[in-house]
Amino acid sequence: MKRNVAIIGGGQTYHKARRHDVDQAELVNEAVRAALADADMTIDEIDLVLLGNMEFFEGVHMTDCWLVHGTGAYGRPGLKITTGGTVGATMVCAGIHHVASGLFDKVLCIGFEKQEEGDTGAILSGVAHPLWGRSMAGAAVGYFAMMGSSYMAAWGAKEEHSAMVAVKARQNARKNKYAHLKLDITIEDALNSRMLSYPIRMLDMCPASNGACAVILADEKTAQKRSKKPVWFRAMDTAHNEQFELDWRDVKTERPIFSKVCASRMYKKLGVTNPAEHFDVFEIYEPATWAELVWYEDLGLCGPGEGFKMIEKGMTNIDGPIPVNPSGGVLSTNCIGASAMLRIWEAALQIRGDAGEHQVPKEVRRAFTTAYGGTNWTVMTALSKTLDD
Amino acid sequence: MIKKTDEQISIPMVVDVPFEFAAGQYLSRALTELRDNGKFFGVKCPKCGRVQLPPRIVCAECHVKNEEWVELGLEGKLKAFTIMYLPLTDPTTGKPHNPPFVYGSVQLDGATSVLDHLVSMEPDLDKIWVGMRLRIILRPPQERIGDLSDILYFEPLPGQKKPA
Ligand SMILES: [Zn+2]
Repeated sequence: MKRNVAIIGGGQTYHKARRHDVDQAELVNEAVRAALADADMTIDEIDLVLLGNMEFFEGVHMTDCWLVHGTGAYGRPGLKITTGGTVGATMVCAGIHHVASGLFDKVLCIGFEKQEEGDTGAILSGVAHPLWGRSMAGAAVGYFAMMGSSYMAAWGAKEEHSAMVAVKARQNARKNKYAHLKLDITIEDALNSRMLSYPIRMLDMCPASNGACAVILADEKTAQKRSKKPVWFRAMDTAHNEQFELDWRDVKTERPIFSKVCASRMYKKLGVTNPAEHFDVFEIYEPATWAELVWYEDLGLCGPGEGFKMIEKGMTNIDGPIPVNPSGGVLSTNCIGASAMLRIWEAALQIRGDAGEHQVPKEVRRAFTTAYGGTNWTVMTALSKTLDD
Repeated sequence: MIKKTDEQISIPMVVDVPFEFAAGQYLSRALTELRDNGKFFGVKCPKCGRVQLPPRIVCAECHVKNEEWVELGLEGKLKAFTIMYLPLTDPTTGKPHNPPFVYGSVQLDGATSVLDHLVSMEPDLDKIWVGMRLRIILRPPQERIGDLSDILYFEPLPGQKKPA
């Protein structure tokens, strides 16, 4: 990177199915105030405000304009970006570009969603091609169900394995005071939950949450001066995918799909040959249980077809050798526009040692995050405690 | 109408937005073939050789112009499926699909891409599997309009047995 970039502060709201106690600006402002307090800054010190959420999920457009009082963008440069489920990470990615380029020193990035105010399924159907496949569109559940059936057919995994992911996520969420679904569930509970779309059951899917996250990025000089615990971006990348192709649902595909391409470019930049050993914690974007198992494989934490064995052995538990989503992940909290930013903020909290009850019980120096959205694309980041790491 | 929720005011609204979508050169040709002749065509990339469906002007991977049109079979292989238990609304009609129903991704013979559609069969896991052969059942010619609703459904080819 041209200039090094750090996270010097962040904050999030409590995430819930219902937040009728606040309007959108009030919700966003909760996260912004938390981030400014965490960075010990005032809004006057911010050079640029970036805001992201999904188009029309709240029934309105141009949230960057009419949430100005909540975001703090009044009188200063700002942008709105929308990229689907990835949007929160795209905000951070854009923020990194703006700081690394030397144009701005302190950038506030905000992601939010108030899903209760609109019809997420109906708006998502607008993502599908009007003449080619829209009649079957409207819910992510069917997509991940096909991924699950393909995964089981390809590798011999069982429904029990997805249930293990469901349990891990919600048990971790119980340790995270901001998480939405804090459920004390067992594998039996997951296997007995209502079938939505075979093989996806209720507890295999993420909830529809309301919430916001904000992080403050700064250049090296500012970060060293202003922050006791800056967390450094060591690499970031994004990879898009092609519409109409089977890709993630064809778990044996050898095509250079988004997830594998992006991970391999990240590892190349960092000189990483064994990601499971190099990184101390992972925060990944798993809207459904099966996606988590495929991420393990696509990130190279194990070989193809071995993801379900990792969860079986408890390798990715909060106290396991490769902790994945100690926060409870997207399966426990999905406020779309904030979800991918939460992965990055949670990774930063782990490196700072500030994750509280869901802090992984080992030294965390390096963390890796993924985002997922749209017709399959991803934004990934790698964060470190020090610049020479 | 104003609804009171714990003294917090929220107002239900509906947005109904008309729009007119241009299918473009490649998709128009493919949909015309479907409507008028009951045929499916893919386009083959001159570089990577992928036969892409729906036909599109540029191969995303190679960024070269697709020019060779390839007629595809009306049969194919099931690559992934689900049995849907939710009454999902069909966004193109506003009416719900009746659950439980089966749908899946089918790779038509000759294609690299897949086509997602309903599968007409009992929602029975003993009778459906990844790899089974299916065929397309189209609407009668006079009822076709030139979009994917011209496909009624896929149905399993007779005489197949789920591998043990
Ligand atoms: Zn090509």
